[in-house]
Amino acid sequence: MRKEKIDKTPARLDFLQSFTGLILALFITGHIMFEASILISNEMMYKVTIMFEGYYFFGEKYPGIISFLAAAISVIFVIHAGIAMKKIPSSYRNYKVIKNHIQGMKHEDSSLWMVQVITGFMMFFMGSVHLYIMMSQPSDIGPFASSSRVVDEFMGPLYFMLLISVVSHAFIGLYRLAMKWGFMEGKNTKVSRARFKFLMKAMIAIYIVVGLSSLAKYTYIGMTHDFSDGVKYKSQTIKMENH
Amino acid sequence: MSESKKQRVLKISILRFDPHDPEDFPHMETFEVEEADGMTLFIALNEIREHHDNSLKFDFVCRAGICGSCSMLVNGRPTLACRTLTAKLDEKFTLAPLPLFELIGDLSVYTGKWMRGLNERLETWIHDKEEELNVDKLEEKMEPALADEIYELDRCVECGCCVAGCGTAKMNPYFVGAVGLNKIARYQLDPRDKRSDDDYYELVGNEDGVFGCMTLLGCEDVCPKDLPLQSKIAYLRRMMLKNTL
Amino acid sequence: MKVIYTDVLIIGGGLAGLRVATGIKGRGHDAVVLSLVPPKRSHSAAAQGGMQASLANCKMGEGDNEDVHFSDTIKGSDWGADQEVARMFVHCAPKAIRELAHWGVPWSRVHRGDHAAIINAEKVTITEKDEAHGLITARDFGGTKKWRTCYTSDGTGHSMLFAMDNKAKQEKVEVHERLEAISLIHENGRCYGAVARNLMSGELVAYVSKATTMATGGYGRIYSVSTNAIICQGMGQAIALETGVATLGNMEAIQFHPTAIVPVGILTTEGCRGDGGLLLDKDGYRFMPDYEPDKKELASRDVVSRRMTEHMRKGKGVKSRYGDHLWLDITILGREHIEKNLREVKEICENFLGIDPAVDWIPVRPTQHYSMGGIRTKYTGESQTLKGLYSCGEAACWDLHGFNRLGGNSVSETVVAGMLVAENISDYLDSDESHLTIHTSNIEKFVKIESDKLDALLTKEDGEDAYVLRRRMEEIMMDKVGIFRNGDDLQEAVDELEELCKRSKNIEVFRSKSRAANPALVNAYRTQKMIKVALTVAYGALLRTESRGAHSREDYPERDDANWLKRTITSWPDENQLVPTVSYEEIDISKMELPPGFRGYGKDLTKHHPKTAEREIVVNAVKEKLEAVGESRFEIQNALMPYLDKLPKKYRAINERLGENI
Repeated sequence: MRKEKIDKTPARLDFLQSFTGLILALFITGHIMFEASILISNEMMYKVTIMFEGYYFFGEKYPGIISFLAAAISVIFVIHAGIAMKKIPSSYRNYKVIKNHIQGMKHEDSSLWMVQVITGFMMFFMGSVHLYIMMSQPSDIGPFASSSRVVDEFMGPLYFMLLISVVSHAFIGLYRLAMKWGFMEGKNTKVSRARFKFLMKAMIAIYIVVGLSSLAKYTYIGMTHDFSDGVKYKSQTIKMENH
Repeated sequence: MSESKKQRVLKISILRFDPHDPEDFPHMETFEVEEADGMTLFIALNEIREHHDNSLKFDFVCRAGICGSCSMLVNGRPTLACRTLTAKLDEKFTLAPLPLFELIGDLSVYTGKWMRGLNERLETWIHDKEEELNVDKLEEKMEPALADEIYELDRCVECGCCVAGCGTAKMNPYFVGAVGLNKIARYQLDPRDKRSDDDYYELVGNEDGVFGCMTLLGCEDVCPKDLPLQSKIAYLRRMMLKNTL
Repeated sequence: MKVIYTDVLIIGGGLAGLRVATGIKGRGHDAVVLSLVPPKRSHSAAAQGGMQASLANCKMGEGDNEDVHFSDTIKGSDWGADQEVARMFVHCAPKAIRELAHWGVPWSRVHRGDHAAIINAEKVTITEKDEAHGLITARDFGGTKKWRTCYTSDGTGHSMLFAMDNKAKQEKVEVHERLEAISLIHENGRCYGAVARNLMSGELVAYVSKATTMATGGYGRIYSVSTNAIICQGMGQAIALETGVATLGNMEAIQFHPTAIVPVGILTTEGCRGDGGLLLDKDGYRFMPDYEPDKKELASRDVVSRRMTEHMRKGKGVKSRYGDHLWLDITILGREHIEKNLREVKEICENFLGIDPAVDWIPVRPTQHYSMGGIRTKYTGESQTLKGLYSCGEAACWDLHGFNRLGGNSVSETVVAGMLVAENISDYLDSDESHLTIHTSNIEKFVKIESDKLDALLTKEDGEDAYVLRRRMEEIMMDKVGIFRNGDDLQEAVDELEELCKRSKNIEVFRSKSRAANPALVNAYRTQKMIKVALTVAYGALLRTESRGAHSREDYPERDDANWLKRTITSWPDENQLVPTVSYEEIDISKMELPPGFRGYGKDLTKHHPKTAEREIVVNAVKEKLEAVGESRFEIQNALMPYLDKLPKKYRAINERLGENI
């Protein structure tokens, strides 16, 4: 029978890809919602920001936490992308084969995978830029700082494209994770799959609407706010000592 | 089924190629066939062969959706031709041979050879260490529900639709396909097969097996037998992962 | 010339062929299987309902044993069967099913406690024994006293074939797929293999072997509507016939299955009626109890088919553009039962009729289904006249089914016969007799003949269109050699087929001239052979002036044991003759365990043989005497008709059964 020990790497890599994907997707669902606090008020967004800077735990802000978070996400992002690369068609021949296959089949789930490849590819660049800025300028987050970045630093178009790709990628990814591992499948797997798929589409729509609205709000602030006093936001409720 | 209803004239475009003819090259050829009530592609293709072109090659055996011989691409999707009613198709449609398998000619492909290779590779038979069975004795008992569950997976007819509908198989010719994974799930379930989880892992715990699957679910959606492929591949994936812990 | 040598050449990769090959491998000999299609695509896969084996595990099978199975089989055959062969068969069927269970068939199992069933249109509750829980269960089938048909849902043949093929792969059985045997190589009354044509490349290959086994299935496709797969064209019988030496038996015995869907003729299993389905006429009236008050829908297949035809002739059929039909109603079984135990039926209804059988009635009518006749063999499976040629399964007539086969006995026969024939052939191979003595120049001669024939078909000018001849043959068989037969129609059929046979010598392959994969060429040579097979059926039916089993003559409605208790033996000694040569083989009543009697359907019209009464007296006397001294059923049976010595030693032991021999 068997002579050598079995190679467990493929199983672990497959799991790791799914697991990092799951973390990233969950992160994104939170991220966009926190970002959307701007829709409530500038004050609300400020509070959310300083929460992540540890203000409510330590009594003062540590933007380094943001850097750390961004770095951690970057690592997960790189692992996820690294393993996922294996599945991306590596030659033109393979690319053509899969493209013809998907076009010929007119099959939704196969097409969704193509969306994953394209959005994943887009995020390679846009996600990296975004993550790098968050790591290097962690203190430039806030109702005014972020708005300024969107408008004056021309990050708006990038955020727009990043939003579309990240939302699609995350929810399609979550749906595919459920299919891949048989998560919460009912007795009739066809029914549970249909439900998951509906949920995926609904979430994509909701997140894109929410995300676009907040982006619009940041853009509005960026266009209308007077930045002559700098980009720091002065909270009306929280008095912070100068650092 | 009224007699007076005017029948459609179907325009069937078929991808034709005879690899044995050095001068031939793959090309589309369109045939016009008058539709009849209850007409299937089995009937339509035989009509073309009998009345239009007697060299048209295709495979049918049971013509009842049981044997899995006649899988082909109908408008780009793999399916069993014998049980495809023309009434469910537009007036114009295309037929092409199943990709990935050795082409014999026109719509005829050699799925059997591929499947033989698969069966031999995955050793799709009961592995029992015991010597000879005493056939005079009462058979070994099995839980009725388990027997039903095994039969559910045993229903695969090896038609090759899941392979032709699989993006992974297209990119990786060594991929075992849903047909192979389903078989492993079937034997893993069967207490008569004494292989260990490590044995199964060795067979499909790799990129050519369950971890190569990209979950495009083409298999699940084209399987003519409605096998629970998505669910079983997911099950195998969990089982294989558990085995590494 | 390409020549492949092997110990045993097996033509046909269905259940029977694969079982033979596996057995031969197990005995250490070499085997090559030729198959038209990958073996898992064989017609064996289409058997839905089940396999008969007297396991007696389920409640309704209690009390079943070999004796009951034997008596059902003989009655079913209308006393046409070889009783020794039937005994060998019923004795080995439990062994075969247990072997298959071991090889992986997921037989449906007995579940302890209560379950509901429909019997005679009424819901009943059946309580299964505790000790039977987990053993192989069975369902009811036509013409059987007990529930004896073991099954896996309604994909029995499929599961059996897949397990069998997988087993063959494990044993490394060599299968040459898409190869068609087109003639047998033989010399001085001994068969040495076959000339085969590769259906992909067109290459001719000589397979030379010590023994050759024909497991090619039936010849249903000589009829225009048949439940058979389209490859069931009788090529095995045809090439055996064309040797001029081998003989065919009872070719006129053709079974019509009561419930094939209209118009395409796809089968819905007997399990539909076995599980409680009913036959209804155009008024929704259940008519079978009027004709057969006792067995009703579950009378033997030939009987039900005739009653349905009779009923439609009375104007009670449902009119459709495809002719009259009746209804099969399984709605009373309930959706759950249909989706679990009659899945294939449901799929077929959805895909081919666009109906839901849990709600709608299924349009059905009797359709050609099974060939009881075939290559005539001894009980060993070897041809009576051509040494080294063996046959088993539907291809053969050894003769288990006589003039009507019981449902569920066919797949059972394939594996049992395969098991036995493998042993018999192995014994033959172990003996000195089996040495090859044919000269290669003679092998070459056989290849050359076939090659020339193919050339002639491809180069002929102003010839006949094979499709035209074939369609005409199919119509003749359908219209004139069908369920009910009569002298005038049969005479017309024979005359016209004879004319077709003449014309078929002049077939031309139009346009498509390739010698490689070429469906037109295949159709041409097969049509020539099929017409000969059709002639053996029609001619045998014309000569047999009685009604027996599935052979039903309106002009001779009685079974005539006095003159016709014999097998039809057909041969074709001269290739220029246009009708086959027919002779008869007497069936010896004085050796019967079960002397001819009344089957219990309709009125008893039997003209008995004078020896029947004598034999009855002897049989009864022996039984009384031995029962009086308390002998077992095995002893009594052995005194009446010993058969165990005809079985390979390894299969002689008594079968275990719940409550018996354990």
